Amino acid sequence: MRRVLGTFLLGAVIARADGHGPAFGFGTAVLGAGDASVETQYMWRSGVSMLGPEFSYGLTGNTQISVSAPFHLDHGEHPVGRFTSMMPGNPEAEVLAAWRFHHRLTGVGTRWESTLYVGTSISTQLPPRTDGPPLGRAPGFYFAAATGHISRKYYVWAGAGYEHYASTSVDHQSDSLLGSLVFGWRPPLWDMDYPKPDLRFFWESTGEWIGYAWRSTAVTSTSIHSHDVLDAEAVADSLAVTSDTPSLPTRVPPNPLPNPSGNYNLPNSGGKAVYSGPTFLLTTHGMAFQGGVLFAVWRDPNGTQPADRLRAVVGITYFFLKGRK
Amino acid sequence: MNFVLKNALRIAGAAAILISAPAARAEYLSIHLKVYGLDCEVCARGVSASVGRLPGIESVNVSLKTGLLDIVLTRGNMFKMSDLRKRIKENGFRSMEATVTAVGRFNGSKFEVSGTGESYELGKKASNSTETTELTFDVH
Repeated sequence: MRRVLGTFLLGAVIARADGHGPAFGFGTAVLGAGDASVETQYMWRSGVSMLGPEFSYGLTGNTQISVSAPFHLDHGEHPVGRFTSMMPGNPEAEVLAAWRFHHRLTGVGTRWESTLYVGTSISTQLPPRTDGPPLGRAPGFYFAAATGHISRKYYVWAGAGYEHYASTSVDHQSDSLLGSLVFGWRPPLWDMDYPKPDLRFFWESTGEWIGYAWRSTAVTSTSIHSHDVLDAEAVADSLAVTSDTPSLPTRVPPNPLPNPSGNYNLPNSGGKAVYSGPTFLLTTHGMAFQGGVLFAVWRDPNGTQPADRLRAVVGITYFFLKGRK
Repeated sequence: MNFVLKNALRIAGAAAILISAPAARAEYLSIHLKVYGLDCEVCARGVSASVGRLPGIESVNVSLKTGLLDIVLTRGNMFKMSDLRKRIKENGFRSMEATVTAVGRFNGSKFEVSGTGESYELGKKASNSTETTELTFDVH
């Protein structure tokens, strides 16, 4: 039912998918002064699907404020990082300010620019967990920076952001780091003049680090997944497995040990991963349609959480441009 | 009676002055402005929409390929070039050189566009004529 609702909302809600730039990675563009946009993104990754409405408003030619509130349609158990550079990966209401502090307009259709992002968030949903109370997050703080070169033919963006969860709860979700590198290309066939449709393709790569979540008491995971088969011998060595221990066909989570703050790392939480894949952006009649997929090219999870091998996003944006006719 | 008559005459005189005084009307007629940084349909639409709201604009055409804004203005408008450049900047772009057609008069080597307080140094092409004239010139 929730999926049906999500699909309906996706089709019905006028939306914005960060309409100027990448679907997942960091971009630099901001709205013009007085312009606004409304967006909805549908985001999917292993075990988690979300719908992310977002409103953005251009304060000046180089500053923008955005409010987003993604919510779960389906949620998984393992803590996650941000879904995209502009959208939290957890159900939160986030206010994000963007300041394009560097802006060199070097020619017709070309510019170099860099943008800083600062955001704060509160939790709107705390997904229930089978191993204890929900993990606290709010307040969240997000800092990011991106730089890029934009032209009529090619786009290049690089950026990184850090999300800190400052919850005072002892059951606590960890911080996360997200970086991205994006190459964009406008096919000559689609290099048409305004007001004809504008289509661009991107190849986006993201890298993320998510720390262990933690609890006040140790949690031992029994969740072992056959698709996370690793080198059993190496794992056994690292865990000092004794000879009477049955052979390990799968990776086991680390022994729960108190971390420096005296709490216990939560097994099956956190890790590192790199994703890469194609996305597109079509703008026409003051609307943007955006989507794409990322494939996991390298994963190093801390535990045995479900493999997050594929991520997908589709979004629709409607721009309220000053004096739009 | 005299008091009433005097005041009536004063009011009539003031009204006549107000009616006969020409309103300060700008006389930009057309502008071809190069803009740096425009790369996409949304950017062009935003610039077109916000420039189109400036007073006196009859039409705006944007070309992403050439980076040119072709603006046609109504006669006797209230338009100022400085407002146009400000509006482009507010959209996040940079206005560059322009070819302007406007009505105005020469003041030395400067061409003063009627009703705007804006003038352009045209150098050696200056005319000694103080007649109002329509002129097309480049602005850098």
